[in-house]
Amino acid sequence: MARARRLRVGYEGTLKEVELQVPETEPPIWDAAARLLVVGQSVRRVDGPAKVTGAAKYTYDVRLPGMLHGKILRSPHAHARILSIDTAKARALPGVRAVIAFERPDSFATVENEDSGRPIDEAEKKEAAGARKRHLLFAGEEVAALAAATPEIAEDALDLIEVKYEVLPHVVDLDAAREPGAPKVFPEGNVRKPEVHETGSVEEGFKAADLVVEGTYRTPVHLHNALETHGAVARWEGNRLTVYASTQGVFGFRDDLARYFKIPATDVRVVTDYLGGGFGAKFGAGVVGIVAARLARVAKAPVKLMLDRHEENLATGNRPSSVQWIKIGAKKDGTLTAIHLKSYGTGGIAGGAGVSGPVRTLYACPNIRTDEQDVLINAGFAMPFRAPGYVQGAFAFESALDEVADRLGIDPLELRKRNYTDKPAKALLQMYETAARAIGWDRRRSPAAAAAARGAVRRGFGMGTAVWPMYGGPKADAKVIIHSDGTVECICGTQDIGGGTRTAMAMVTAEVLGLSPEAIRVSLGDTGTGMYSPASGGSVTLTSILPAVRGAAEGAREKLLKTAAPALAAHPEDLELRDGRVGVKGGGKSIPFAQAAGRLQSAVISSQASRAENYQGAGFDVWGAQFAEVEVDTGTGKVKVLKVVAAQDCGRTINRLTAESQVNGGVIMGLSFALLEQRTMDAATGIVMNPNLEDYKIAGTLEMPEIVPILMDVHDPANNVGVKGLGEPPVVPTAGAIANAVSNAIGARVRELPITPDRVLALLAGKEA
Amino acid sequence: MARSAGKRGKRGKTGLTRRAFLKGIGIGGGALGSGLLASEVVPKGGAKGSAVTRLGPGPVPITLKVNGRVSTVHLEPRVTLLDALRDRLDLTGSKKICDRGECGGCAVLLEGKPVFACMMLALDARGRSITTIEGIAAKGALHPVQEAFIAKDALQCGFCTPGFVVASKALLDENPRPSLDQVREALGGHLCRCGTYPRVFEAVLSVSGRPARAQGPGDPGRSA
Repeated sequence: MARARRLRVGYEGTLKEVELQVPETEPPIWDAAARLLVVGQSVRRVDGPAKVTGAAKYTYDVRLPGMLHGKILRSPHAHARILSIDTAKARALPGVRAVIAFERPDSFATVENEDSGRPIDEAEKKEAAGARKRHLLFAGEEVAALAAATPEIAEDALDLIEVKYEVLPHVVDLDAAREPGAPKVFPEGNVRKPEVHETGSVEEGFKAADLVVEGTYRTPVHLHNALETHGAVARWEGNRLTVYASTQGVFGFRDDLARYFKIPATDVRVVTDYLGGGFGAKFGAGVVGIVAARLARVAKAPVKLMLDRHEENLATGNRPSSVQWIKIGAKKDGTLTAIHLKSYGTGGIAGGAGVSGPVRTLYACPNIRTDEQDVLINAGFAMPFRAPGYVQGAFAFESALDEVADRLGIDPLELRKRNYTDKPAKALLQMYETAARAIGWDRRRSPAAAAAARGAVRRGFGMGTAVWPMYGGPKADAKVIIHSDGTVECICGTQDIGGGTRTAMAMVTAEVLGLSPEAIRVSLGDTGTGMYSPASGGSVTLTSILPAVRGAAEGAREKLLKTAAPALAAHPEDLELRDGRVGVKGGGKSIPFAQAAGRLQSAVISSQASRAENYQGAGFDVWGAQFAEVEVDTGTGKVKVLKVVAAQDCGRTINRLTAESQVNGGVIMGLSFALLEQRTMDAATGIVMNPNLEDYKIAGTLEMPEIVPILMDVHDPANNVGVKGLGEPPVVPTAGAIANAVSNAIGARVRELPITPDRVLALLAGKEA
Repeated sequence: MARSAGKRGKRGKTGLTRRAFLKGIGIGGGALGSGLLASEVVPKGGAKGSAVTRLGPGPVPITLKVNGRVSTVHLEPRVTLLDALRDRLDLTGSKKICDRGECGGCAVLLEGKPVFACMMLALDARGRSITTIEGIAAKGALHPVQEAFIAKDALQCGFCTPGFVVASKALLDENPRPSLDQVREALGGHLCRCGTYPRVFEAVLSVSGRPARAQGPGDPGRSA
């Protein structure tokens, strides 16, 4: 049953009362009127000590008694058919305990008889020869796997597996793959049907335009490179399976394994105590999880299978490349009349390459058409990557908009304001103002002045807008337990990908129970808790789990007050929890929290809650604005980002300290994408040329600008905490803002990422030609 | 049959792995980089009359002094210091992120100087004092660098953090009051994918007593 509640919403300066229908079971909503002591402060991570001392145990650090080390043999060919796999020599090597060959087409779909661990006999070989043979579609695809007593033996044994391949023609170049005679990745061809959306009529929109600008923008394949590679440690006890996994979704990982091995979910437990990043590439059990568990079953011993950096960059996911043709129509005053985006891109053998999110959501325009097409090549598959599609799309769209602004002689920020969409809970105008002031936007030179500049080192300014839908919702469960000695546990199965989930759970529990966050013991990253959480993707983690945590804490609080009431000779409703004490409201008699809990004798208070549905009429998109100042050396072509100001809303900020870190992280990843990162493939051999961290460049300390994160609390509660997502939005606008700043500095339009010195020099040369 | 170069996609055109290369020259690259040329380069075929001992290829006893504790482990001479620490001594704080000296995740102190443990064979570390991330905190008390990393939130997922902490401590031991540029330089070989660099700068500078910028405390993100 829902009940109307009056809530104070909006942001500083625009606060107002609204009436929302809220489920009756919900505690008082933390709206703008809520006075909170812990939530919203800067709180040190509760797992900080474990992380700075090396005590934090990641999947990669798990060591079990009798544990073997797994390794995978990968295809050296970009496209091939397996003719035969001979594992006899590898099996014969002392120390090798399990070998599995993936020669059948359905190798990862079902459990095969080679799991028995014995060599495949002649009869089986004949049968296999008659069957369809497995096609390998990219260099780096899994061919076989084994487990041995030491990593060194495993590595030696891989060299002993003999594989015969029929090498087939391949294609790894995006444009070559679209040609009619290109080698086919799949029989159906390399180009998927375009996805077309149109609102209004772009034809009419362009007719109404005073100015039409068009351009083609390109972005490369972007590799996740979480520092902890994909991997798992699997252990069977009879038919029960425990897997320590480097995953951003323990429950999804578990369900994949249960389905694969046809065992009940109750017999699979997945644990992720600490996770060394994911960024979207670590959903599901995947080949790594399945292979680790299969090897462990064959070897009858625990198996650890961690990929190395090279494998990580071939076969675990990517952000697809893009080629984006954008045509924009505008009136003289800057009003947009039409946007037409035609794009294609490739995520390899699978994965959507769409980029139209920003075009369709950032600014107002009545007529928008998007045609997006996925192209398939012989390369590793795509996975979601921090704001999928938005990062590439925003770069091209914001660049095209700056071109419109320059051509019309309108300031780029002003152009965006003129096409502003006024939406509920949108504080973007205020963020524009704050961030523009912080960067010194009035120092930006006009395009004419920039074009006339002759200095060797030139400065430029650019900006862009962040948008991200508020995802998150049910289902999520949490439990809070108060023990009779006064210690408190907060339990949710969710994983902490690095955003500070543990600390946020502790803060919400501490807020409700009047304790300090360090006093709360948080357990997470374990399907065995039975407390469900969605995977950490789409910026949903805190949005989903914190309302459940709060519900559980409120339930525990109520029970504790009842327990304590007789000792204080008061009614439970007249009591409060504050500063580690239970006391009568208004400064009356009080006893320490632990003393109140002691009345439980040896019993515990256990309180569980599930997250309610999002409230209707609340919980709109989150917005942000980023401004960049760059310096370009026109002699060397080197771009130096001097400063980035990032204003961002995430609903209610839970932990200011960690939230600012997350904004910094988004900016840095966007900067790295803008200036440095690109997967390079060799067309002739079809292999990745830079599957390491030396040739695949990631921004380091020397590339760091000054970063100014400005978090803005926007009260738009669709849940009892008022939190929204933050992981993805801060990475959306950075590359566009930097590209626009570079274009502003050199007086020529950047149309391709990364903005390497050679490209800058070519732009400068083209301008002068 | 295609068993040539590029098999497993792991080898370069020479067909030589880094480990094979290290084995071939009998010395860890980390030691080369630090100018700590080992005394035990084994010439192929052995040198006549000299007191050269040939080790391996099977496991040999190797005595390591790590965090003040002396332990003997049995491992093949090709095993890197990083693998020895992690797989044999269960000191898993040092991380293998790239395994080829590109990321700094495995930094340890060798006689007080930072080296990348993935670029050094365990046998080249014999007899030298090694400090890993586990040995940075004195008993029960965090090192000021560790305190500062927590206070300034100079970590997110935390996987790169041990390397950064070790390198930061080494920098401050050598130069107690580094400038921001010196911090950038000293940590230039360390990668973080979550993006915590500005706060790492701030943490290191806060230990040295030098403000990251002319900005007030409680503003930890606004550094660099």
